[in-house]
Amino acid sequence: MFNILSEPFSWINLLVIILVAAAVLGIVLVFVMYAIYFERKVIGWMQVRNGPNRVGPWGLMQTMADVFKLLIKEDIVPAKVDKFLFLIAPIIAYTPAFAIIAVIPYSQKIYFADVNVGLLYYGALSSITITGILLGGWASNNKYAIMGGMRSVAQMVSYEVPLIMSFLGVVLLTGSLNLREIVQAQQEGMWFIVPQFLGFVIFLIAGNAELNRTPFDLPEAENELVAGYFVEYSGFRFAFFMLTEYVYIFAMASLMTVMFLGGWDAPFEFLEFIPGIVWFFLKFLLLVFYLFWVRATFPRVRTDQLMGFAWKVLIPLALLNVMLTALFKTLF
Amino acid sequence: MWGKGFFKGLSFTLKMLKEPKITSQYPDEPIIMPERYRGIHHFYPEKCIVCNQCVRVCPTGCISLVGKPNPDPEKKGKVIDTYDINFELCILCDLCTEVCPTESIVMTNNFELATYSRDNLAKDLKWLENNNTKVREENH
Amino acid sequence: MALRTEEMLLNVGPQHPSTHGVFRLVVKVDGETIKEAIPVVGYLHRGTEKLAEDLTYTQIIPYTDRLDYLSSMLNNYALVQAVETLMGIQVPERAEFLRVIAMELNRIASHLVWWGTAILDLGATSPFIYAFRDREMIVNLLNELSGARLTFNYMRVGGVKWDAPKGWINKVSEFLPHMRKSLKEYHKLVTGNEIFLGRVKNIGVYDGETAKNYSLSGPTLRGSNVKYDIRKNQPYSIYERFDFDIPTGEDGDVYDRYMVRMKEMEQSIRILEQAVEQFPDQGEIMAKVPKIIKAPEGEVYTRMETSKGELGVHLVSKGKDKPYRLHLRRPSFINLQILPELLLGRSMADIPAILGAIDIVLGEVDA
Repeated sequence: MFNILSEPFSWINLLVIILVAAAVLGIVLVFVMYAIYFERKVIGWMQVRNGPNRVGPWGLMQTMADVFKLLIKEDIVPAKVDKFLFLIAPIIAYTPAFAIIAVIPYSQKIYFADVNVGLLYYGALSSITITGILLGGWASNNKYAIMGGMRSVAQMVSYEVPLIMSFLGVVLLTGSLNLREIVQAQQEGMWFIVPQFLGFVIFLIAGNAELNRTPFDLPEAENELVAGYFVEYSGFRFAFFMLTEYVYIFAMASLMTVMFLGGWDAPFEFLEFIPGIVWFFLKFLLLVFYLFWVRATFPRVRTDQLMGFAWKVLIPLALLNVMLTALFKTLF
Repeated sequence: MWGKGFFKGLSFTLKMLKEPKITSQYPDEPIIMPERYRGIHHFYPEKCIVCNQCVRVCPTGCISLVGKPNPDPEKKGKVIDTYDINFELCILCDLCTEVCPTESIVMTNNFELATYSRDNLAKDLKWLENNNTKVREENH
Repeated sequence: MALRTEEMLLNVGPQHPSTHGVFRLVVKVDGETIKEAIPVVGYLHRGTEKLAEDLTYTQIIPYTDRLDYLSSMLNNYALVQAVETLMGIQVPERAEFLRVIAMELNRIASHLVWWGTAILDLGATSPFIYAFRDREMIVNLLNELSGARLTFNYMRVGGVKWDAPKGWINKVSEFLPHMRKSLKEYHKLVTGNEIFLGRVKNIGVYDGETAKNYSLSGPTLRGSNVKYDIRKNQPYSIYERFDFDIPTGEDGDVYDRYMVRMKEMEQSIRILEQAVEQFPDQGEIMAKVPKIIKAPEGEVYTRMETSKGELGVHLVSKGKDKPYRLHLRRPSFINLQILPELLLGRSMADIPAILGAIDIVLGEVDA
């Protein structure tokens, strides 16, 4: 279905590609809306209260109301900001998060780009978001924003390293960077969460830090510095930063599903009549629930402890994981 | 082992998912206050003997009243003419009902007083007399 | 070549999610380390002490409710204790028991709010809701007793205003095992958590000598290994009849003050269990006092232990029904003095932890 990229160029093909991209954007936006609703409901239930339940039946229209409110707000661009950087910072932050979704295989037949260096593409693009955040903090001409931006960049750069290293083990076991081949390798063998459990745990923690979520959400800490790097953004631009975070959750959770939990693979033989996309979705939901669960439970980690943890604990553990996998592969 | 605290915390919040919710659906369901709750006042004009104790004891000075001689020439004493409580100042402390000798100023269990304009918060005798739901039984 | 750095002057402003009220802290930061911290208070000053010169003693009691609004019963008691000491009134036994039960329930409620908000400042949002769930039960109990949820206006000179309604004591004794179970769950959720321990251990350390020099009191003093509690050292009311311990901490850091308050909640539950058991079946709730209360000429300073520390009342009377001068020695105001010293050299992220451990309530800081 998606061999359209290997056909010769024609205007019809271009139109189809653009329409498909728009459709995927639509699906991702619907996901973001209901992920926000799901998060507020889950955290509410864990805190023995109802989440949103007034807007629409069971509160389902709540995010739509919130987004609408953000859209109709006045677009305030403060006087002394660096105008060009201020305006493009949210765009630079958002675009890589959306572009990553192209390489992820959702099921046997549904995938968009079969790139042989899929994982490398992922790692490279996710670093561009950091530039967007730094620009947002700098261009705001506000000391809180700069402090928040610096903290955020330091955190994200430090946690990129164990993130990428944690899936080197998976690459070693498969021998390829292509995400479809990784899922196929898990279909034949067992899901990589079992041999690569250490890598999985490191990915969970580093992924949480990359997303700037609790317990690593010091850059957004309302209690300490009012809102960090996006304090000067209001209305739709702020919605862009929030959108980035949630689309990133989508990307990171789907990557984890593909790499460690077997993608579209059914856990047992007799359950294979259920289509692959449903399995993908269920595993993906489980990981997203885990992120919300952690947010409801833990306090925040301090900046210097955060850095110490990344450089002194996670990176040696990730290196250990790679060495053990290499050893295992050579011996057996 | 390091990390045990994490698992205990996570298991606690997971267990809380199934607990009954503690929030109440106000204003769809009204909040029932206990019998002794100090809410907005209710006034019985026929019982008032214009002794001025409530005016003197109020810590914020929110009660003001005017009495007039009894229209019935047989009886002595005064009856109440106007009685105002300024709810911008009233702290619902219950001292006025404590000192009233005839229990003509009592409190109810109503507490909903929010309005859109501050002028509506100066309540006069008519309003206080009409506020007669959920009147407290015990006053001393 | 050395990099040129500048100090920033930041305002952890009066409006801020974590300053527990309208409290302003002006900090000079170099990067992330604090070079100087200057607290600015007075945003909630309402002139209670001056107003008290024109009010009779019974009229001042609603004003004392609003000092430390989270523990109103304890503040009420401070004032009536001063007047009763000056007048030499003996309060009947049932009234004393009701007072102690109300005060200890209020102490638990105040510590629950402290726990919820201190952990909220550190980033965890759930414990706040659990704390308020339990506090709601206490507030409902006190609502049935006195008629209000926060500013009770319950104690009078010579006794208390209302007697306990039918079945109230049973409700209190049903609540206590539930509270014990909740405390265990709170320890499970927060106290063992490694992230939390990393934020609070070895932060804001001071020893007992420094604490005494700053005249700290309450858990801020007991966390530094000074065993001093006015309920044991100079007992007032009927606290001699109850058997309870005074928890202390050893290192004097934020974690020790945290544990001291958690253990104090357990000790309050213990006092409550004994009080409910020893509660007299009948008795007067008010001593024989004249209708207009006039304190004899003289001056007195009485003190008691609230949830924040030592609340002292200095009362000067010239024989009239209104005091000549009322001064309140407020624990939150005195405890706040140590904040600039504790913040020197620490990072900005430690401000919520340290401020949470001192536990101030702005109504009391500003009076």
